[in-house]
Amino acid sequence: MNEALSAALALFLDPSRLSMMLLGVAVGLVVGVLPGMGGIVSVAILLPFITRLDPAASLAMITGSLAVVHTSDTITSVLIGAPGSAAAVPTMIEGHPLARQGQAARALSAAYAASLVGGLIGALGLTLSIPIARPLVLSFGSPELFMLTVLGVSYAGSLLGKEARRGILAGLLGLLLGAVGPAPAAAEVRFAFDQVYLTDGLDLAIVALGLFGVAEVVGLLARGGAVAETTDLGRGWLQGLRDVVQHRWLVLRGALIGMWAGVLPALGATAGTLMAYGHVVSSSRDRSRFGKGDIRGIIAPEAANNAVEAGDLIPTLLFSVPGSAPTAIILGALLAYGIVPGPRIVTDHLDLVYTIVWSFAAANFIGAGIMFAASPVLARAASVPFDRLAPAVLLAMVLASYQETRHFGDILTLLALGLVGYAMKVTGWPRAPMLIGFVLAGPLERYYFLTINLYQHPTDWLLRPGVVVLAALLVAPFAWGAVRAVRERAAGRPPAAAARPGFRPVTLFSLLVLAVFAAAALVAREFLPGAALMPLSVAAVGAVLAAAQLAQELRGRAGFTVDDEGDAALTRPEALRRAAWLLAGLCGYAGSIWLVGMRAASGVWVLGFLLGVARVRPTAALLYTAAALAGAEVLSRVLGVRLPPGALLR
Amino acid sequence: MKRATVLLVLGLLLLAPPGARAQQPYYAGKTIELIVPFGPGGGTDIEARFMAPYFEKHIPGNPRFVIRNMPGGGSILGANWFAQNAKPDGLTLLATSGSTIIPYILGVSQVRYDFAKWKLVKVNGVGGVVYVSPRTGITKAADILRPQVPLVYGGISAVGLDLTTLLLFEVLGMNVRVVMGFEGRGPARLAFERGETTIDYQTTPAYLTQVVPLIREGKAVAVMSMGFVNDRGQMVRDPAAPDLPTPYEVYQTLHNRKPDGLLRWKAYQAAVAASFSYQKAFWAPEGTPDEALRALREAIDRMKRDPAFRQEAQKILEGYEVFRGDQGEAAVHRSMRITLDVKKYIVDLVTGKYSARL
Repeated sequence: MNEALSAALALFLDPSRLSMMLLGVAVGLVVGVLPGMGGIVSVAILLPFITRLDPAASLAMITGSLAVVHTSDTITSVLIGAPGSAAAVPTMIEGHPLARQGQAARALSAAYAASLVGGLIGALGLTLSIPIARPLVLSFGSPELFMLTVLGVSYAGSLLGKEARRGILAGLLGLLLGAVGPAPAAAEVRFAFDQVYLTDGLDLAIVALGLFGVAEVVGLLARGGAVAETTDLGRGWLQGLRDVVQHRWLVLRGALIGMWAGVLPALGATAGTLMAYGHVVSSSRDRSRFGKGDIRGIIAPEAANNAVEAGDLIPTLLFSVPGSAPTAIILGALLAYGIVPGPRIVTDHLDLVYTIVWSFAAANFIGAGIMFAASPVLARAASVPFDRLAPAVLLAMVLASYQETRHFGDILTLLALGLVGYAMKVTGWPRAPMLIGFVLAGPLERYYFLTINLYQHPTDWLLRPGVVVLAALLVAPFAWGAVRAVRERAAGRPPAAAARPGFRPVTLFSLLVLAVFAAAALVAREFLPGAALMPLSVAAVGAVLAAAQLAQELRGRAGFTVDDEGDAALTRPEALRRAAWLLAGLCGYAGSIWLVGMRAASGVWVLGFLLGVARVRPTAALLYTAAALAGAEVLSRVLGVRLPPGALLR
Repeated sequence: MKRATVLLVLGLLLLAPPGARAQQPYYAGKTIELIVPFGPGGGTDIEARFMAPYFEKHIPGNPRFVIRNMPGGGSILGANWFAQNAKPDGLTLLATSGSTIIPYILGVSQVRYDFAKWKLVKVNGVGGVVYVSPRTGITKAADILRPQVPLVYGGISAVGLDLTTLLLFEVLGMNVRVVMGFEGRGPARLAFERGETTIDYQTTPAYLTQVVPLIREGKAVAVMSMGFVNDRGQMVRDPAAPDLPTPYEVYQTLHNRKPDGLLRWKAYQAAVAASFSYQKAFWAPEGTPDEALRALREAIDRMKRDPAFRQEAQKILEGYEVFRGDQGEAAVHRSMRITLDVKKYIVDLVTGKYSARL
């Protein structure tokens, strides 16, 4: 083993390998900055190089870009509130408020320090677990994977905020959204309404971008001004580092959760990050700052999402089953070189395995290190008036969405979810549970059906040791929460203040939610039994809860605690009016993309926005527009995306 | 005299039509775009990327050969786009796989493409091997009707590549409990290793690399290959697993007669041919000039003679032969043109026993 390690080190100190790894890191970092792009995109860009390099160099390159997949996506999440990837959503939820409070540097440096350590823990875990990984992974059968996804969903419970009912409803909406597309266990396509685009279901990146990215951008524009109104944003850089040291056990726990999420086929990077986030919230005694900028809500998820990619490598290398889309490409590359993943890879190609591990660790270190050092500088972007940044950010999000399927449906989905996300933001409905529901809907249903069909008697699987342990983990927080609630009631805590009864505009949203569940239930009745179970039960429970919510709101018993002070500002009439115009403008933008194509539409809208809303001088506006369009052109060439030509011109 | 000859020759050269002087290859200075209707990293994509540099090398004129991924709808979106938008100039080609073929054969409503209209550039296939758990007590194909523990099979979807396996179970009269819902054959193989399923199939590349070690450890028993349909429409042994019997032979062993003529045999053979034996194909749209097709198809021949290609092909194509389009086109089109009674049988099976909705 020692010579394998030293062989890897020698390979690694070879300048051509090193430079390929650094190329991978560079591509991964640059691509990751753009909201919605990362991972699969950066690896796809590097694909053409694979056939021209030797195995060790190309593996170093791809692993390099894989390792930093979740490193640079933190930037837009914190500074702009547009999640760089779905896995960056918790960082956005906690980091963006921190940026608004002038602590962007602290948020970024904490995120990168946690990422760095998390990634290194992941690499270490990868090395140590290679000998024992096979039996460990095989011991997780369908029942254990099912319990694990239930556990993941339950962590959403800790993200419900003060009003459990709306959080649960948001989670159920997410489950319903996740049910669009092919049913896992029955040959039926659900909720596609004859649209070919929907037959694959909705894309996670677009859902996250719309629900969180577009909504945040509109919110920032509606509020006006810059992201952070205070000066001296470089402050806090060292504080972030201190935070990570202070919460070092959280880093470890986050990294372990992330690694497991990667190793097991059921979960992925987003699920792992959300679970780490849910874990840190549920295990904290003081939850008051979560959602308003709690540094712990950055540290755990960031450690998790760098460790996830290390975990993903285990099933890829040891079982020839890719753990994620980027690792699927690694698998393809290995096969193209005639290197067969599986139990033999440890004996036949140990040196390449260690090349991958070392590349991963080094890339993590270098990538996070670069980002960490750049945090004070990057944080200054928070002081730029946001309407100068907004057009470029929106254009990037539209482009990122479009390259998912290269279909206009991508843009429509982004817009629709942006509208929903904004409505939820303004009415105080929590969105994080919705994302969890969406991410875990597929695995939850899949492993449920696999479990009950492969194990014909419940006792066959309910009594398995893994299941029992996971069930205990599942029940424990609820039991503890119930005990605590009883104690609180005994101590005589006053109930929440009653609000005014009657119909408010906000109640419209609850009515809409009820309508969605009712409609879904009606449609789901027509599905095949194996496909109907999940959507029907979700819609039924959802309809009942939504009706209760509506009733409580009309009676004035429901409290409307909007979490973020910033969000409260959004409910003022002038902010709402601005937001309405902005959203109408977005619809117009999307419509014009369809009519005249992306280039023409973007040119018109960016220019119009800069002149009309941002009140920029004409020459500057023209330069900006030209630069933005040129950037979009370069990006689309590099990604191999043809920008939509437009119906009129076709 | 000599000067006159020289002048004559020069004069003739000058008067000769420009085209005749130097024939430019059709593809000189051009770029061919191959649409891969799957995401990057999948089997079809990797094979295409592996072949791309050889196309560039061997097509006269050395055009650029680039891949464009268009995933969605299980390859239906990309194939639809190709059918509606690809210009017949030989500069846009489509790569298809079994999951493009099966919805077409089943007549799924979202399919807006017609293989019959396309011209084949190249085709190569892949095989499959069926194996069981030693707990079933099965040691050879003749035992498959009498397993000691129930046969449980993990599948992905009744309207995907599993269709061929389901038809196999029908044709041999096997009693198998089919559990759908796995994400891919990889996770299904893991379930077999965990003991959750007792019968599984893998494509031969995965079989040779991942299952054979299990067999050596006594954790799996190979029973039969899925069989390979040659260009004469006969089922022959899989070249990558030549010591395993084909379902044709297994049927004979079990029932003492040949299955030819049986409706369910015709269905199985059609499914194997379309989705395995001719699985990986490149197509050009209808109306592509003959010159372009010739150049492309001749490149295949040259590729096969290229020693560098042959060495690497062993890893990617796993020893299955690549056929040029004109050699394989008739057989491939024939394999997709299933008769109405066979189609009805398949559709009834899928929508009835396996409760699928098409």
